[in-house]
Amino acid sequence: MQYAINSLLRQKTKTIFIIIIFTILTFLLTSIFFITHSIKYELDTTANNLPQIIIQNQQAGRLTNIETTILDDILQIDGVSDAIGRVWGYYYFKQANVNFIVMGIDNFENQYKKSFTNISNKYDLSDNNSMIIGNGVKKILKKNYYTDYFNFITPGGTLKKVNIKGVFNSNIPLESNDIILTSKDVVREIFGIDEQYFTDIVVKIPNPKEVNTIATKIKQLYPNTKVITQEQLKVSYQEIFDYKSGIFLVLFIVALFTFFMIVYDKSSGLSSEEKREIGILKAIGWKVDDILKEKFYESFIISFFAYLVGVISALIYVYILQAPLLKNIFIGYSALNVDFILPFVLDTQSLFLVFFLSVPIYIAATIIPSWRTATIEADKVLR
Amino acid sequence: MIKLHNLTKIYELNKNNKVVALDNINLEFQQGELIILKGASGSGKSTILSLLAGLSKPTNGEVIIQDQRISKLPDDFLALFRRENIGFIFQKYNLIPTMSVWENIALPLIPTNPDETILKEKLSKVMQQFNISHKENSIVKNLSGGEQQRVAIARAMINNPNIIIADEPTANLDEKLSLHFIQILKQLKSSNKTIIVATHDPLFFDLDFVDKIINIHNGRVQ
Amino acid sequence: MFLTPEILTLQILNLIFLSFGTIAFILSIKIALKWDLNATTKLQYSLEKQSFLTATIIKYIFTLKIPLFLFFIFTLDKLSNILPGAMCAAGVVNATVYGNYLLVLKVINIYIFGFWLVLHYVDIKQPTLPYTKQKFQFFIVIYFLLLIEIIIEYLMFSSIDISKIVNCCGTLYSSAATSFISKLFLISNQTILFVFYFNFILIIFSYIKKYKQLFSIVNFLFIIVSIISLILFFGTYIYELPTHHCPFCYLQKDYYYVGYLIYILLFLGTFNGLLVGFSTDDILTNNSFKKSIIFNTLFVLLVSAYPIVFFIKNGVWL
Repeated sequence: MQYAINSLLRQKTKTIFIIIIFTILTFLLTSIFFITHSIKYELDTTANNLPQIIIQNQQAGRLTNIETTILDDILQIDGVSDAIGRVWGYYYFKQANVNFIVMGIDNFENQYKKSFTNISNKYDLSDNNSMIIGNGVKKILKKNYYTDYFNFITPGGTLKKVNIKGVFNSNIPLESNDIILTSKDVVREIFGIDEQYFTDIVVKIPNPKEVNTIATKIKQLYPNTKVITQEQLKVSYQEIFDYKSGIFLVLFIVALFTFFMIVYDKSSGLSSEEKREIGILKAIGWKVDDILKEKFYESFIISFFAYLVGVISALIYVYILQAPLLKNIFIGYSALNVDFILPFVLDTQSLFLVFFLSVPIYIAATIIPSWRTATIEADKVLR
Repeated sequence: MIKLHNLTKIYELNKNNKVVALDNINLEFQQGELIILKGASGSGKSTILSLLAGLSKPTNGEVIIQDQRISKLPDDFLALFRRENIGFIFQKYNLIPTMSVWENIALPLIPTNPDETILKEKLSKVMQQFNISHKENSIVKNLSGGEQQRVAIARAMINNPNIIIADEPTANLDEKLSLHFIQILKQLKSSNKTIIVATHDPLFFDLDFVDKIINIHNGRVQ
Repeated sequence: MFLTPEILTLQILNLIFLSFGTIAFILSIKIALKWDLNATTKLQYSLEKQSFLTATIIKYIFTLKIPLFLFFIFTLDKLSNILPGAMCAAGVVNATVYGNYLLVLKVINIYIFGFWLVLHYVDIKQPTLPYTKQKFQFFIVIYFLLLIEIIIEYLMFSSIDISKIVNCCGTLYSSAATSFISKLFLISNQTILFVFYFNFILIIFSYIKKYKQLFSIVNFLFIIVSIISLILFFGTYIYELPTHHCPFCYLQKDYYYVGYLIYILLFLGTFNGLLVGFSTDDILTNNSFKKSIIFNTLFVLLVSAYPIVFFIKNGVWL
């Protein structure tokens, strides 16, 4: 209603103060939701590229390498189209305090990922001292003055020099950034893995409905192993994200509660000016209900306006500016700064969520103060 | 048409401190009369006006207007009655200083969500009648005393009420403006409105178009 | 408790409803006991003021309850992606022992809150405020219903176990189910259709004759009959699958969210229909009659359209 808008404009300082705080809150909240949603989306896409089953060996409850002989047995299982032994590990680069993923691929072998197949076709790594690195790796190495090669320190204490033959560009930045691809022999050398062992085995199963049964079968055949399905991976990612966004939500609630108190406090303390104004209104024939309605319009306008501004700013911040600062909190994926672009996915759910978390709460905070205002006795005020 | 029946108002400042503002007032006014309530400040005349307009409720007794028992009505119905039947002109005008002239005048009508054309019609009619049209967009606090008074009157008249109540209307005016106000009163009287004015300004006591002068002293009718 | 941001939001708002509702409750008791419009005491004046606060709180809760209910359904639907075995909200509702009761209670509460609001508006239209005491006595009852609803909702969400497999609507809404739903499937299509349309004809009949009580009663029956008809018959035509009876799946995107429209129409029609039976105010009665017949008719047209269109397109019934 026009009157409500005008009335708000007449109380500029108070109104602007509330709008700013509120906008910041919605902005933060919406940004967080947008970021997590985009990352989830990315991960989902990534997860679909993950193998259906990963088999890892355990000894005394800890993960160890798995014997290569198991591979043949797996291939025999009905429904398995392929099983590939992987040799890989995390290499700790002390100077930069980061971990690189070093993955072994061999030419002329089936790769478990299409992107790897492309690489193995493109580059020849069989000379056993070359590698292809991801963008993030390249940056870090460059910072530490390694541009053409790198020296790995093997478990025995010797240096293994490996030349950088090229840079890996997958269309899914999350996965390519911190990876180093080299031949399996090089990996075995760097980590001291014996020829009779793989780090783990990935299994390809064309029919997704059979994955669970096959996983059970493998578990029965090799009770010591840990068998992880793609579905389980997806669910665990989702849980991590819900957990992280859960923490922020809790923080947000605390902030909201404080805000609630501030709003309540501010609107309760009516200046004598305001009291007079309400008294005048009642004297000239405004009902309590009319005043309540007008106050409600005021609250709604403020909160909704702040909501819109908060959401739009969040949109700009997250998708156009790419969310500096906040993004890194959520990508605890590896210690490397993942330099990837948040995909624009319109998340209507989040919009509704933020709405329900902001507007109704603000209005609730104003119920009692508005009522107090509206039931002022005109007579007392006007004398 | 207006009856004050055994009207008593007692203010309780605290448990031991009671002020009897009105003590058993009985009065009757007819439609179209111009009535002056005369008395010093503190005599209770403002209280009578306040009760008449339903701005406060009596401790005892009743106010009956046009056969409606005003004092028994719940707040919102009182407000509605006020809006439709009573135009109140306050001593201090009680305009909203930061709003413009036309906004102030239109205030009583806003809760009814009026049609814009109808609103504009009513506004221009009443602004012309009280000679304030030329200032319609000025902010009230920038107006002179006389102009503010005319805005206050226009606001009271926007709904064309049957009853007009004025509380010490000339207390802050010089003689010229006071006489001007009396002219307006005469104008209103000729349209058969019931007018009740509370004042201790002697200018009112010799007018020929006044129907009754009632003396109030210490909360009682003399 | 399994916490997604949606569930957290619902719980926060429930908490707000609870706090404000309790305030309204306490005030309602005061008013219900001591209200006397004719008294000129300070107490009465403060009660009058408090009456406004209570009404405002209840209006606030009710206004929010409706979009929140839709959001609740939507949350259930989204949860179905996480709960193994669930393909739509039906699975989530049946994941816990509380689900069905909560849903029914929520719907009942929406009707009841709606009734309170209508009573409120009729009350404040008259200077004697004739129904104030009853209004607040009524709210005391409503408060308890609200309290139960909030508690059950909390219990339901905290007892959802994401590692437990739940039934999907295919098994729940079929003759193989173990609940009384399976007995419903013993009713033949002809019988249920007959009952459904006959009920609707009764509604039209009592509208024309302006039989208020009858109109109310048949509207009440219509709620139950419609839902059963939707499950047994009309649903299958929305899905174009004779075995798909789920009343929740058509709330999803794949069916253009038509479920929301269907249920909203049914609610508006029957709510106004029920109002007619209690209304003593003529304007209200007439309005409610009209609204009820319009919405009910739209509802019937909408659900009937599916089988008819199917028949026209395919030349056979399912």
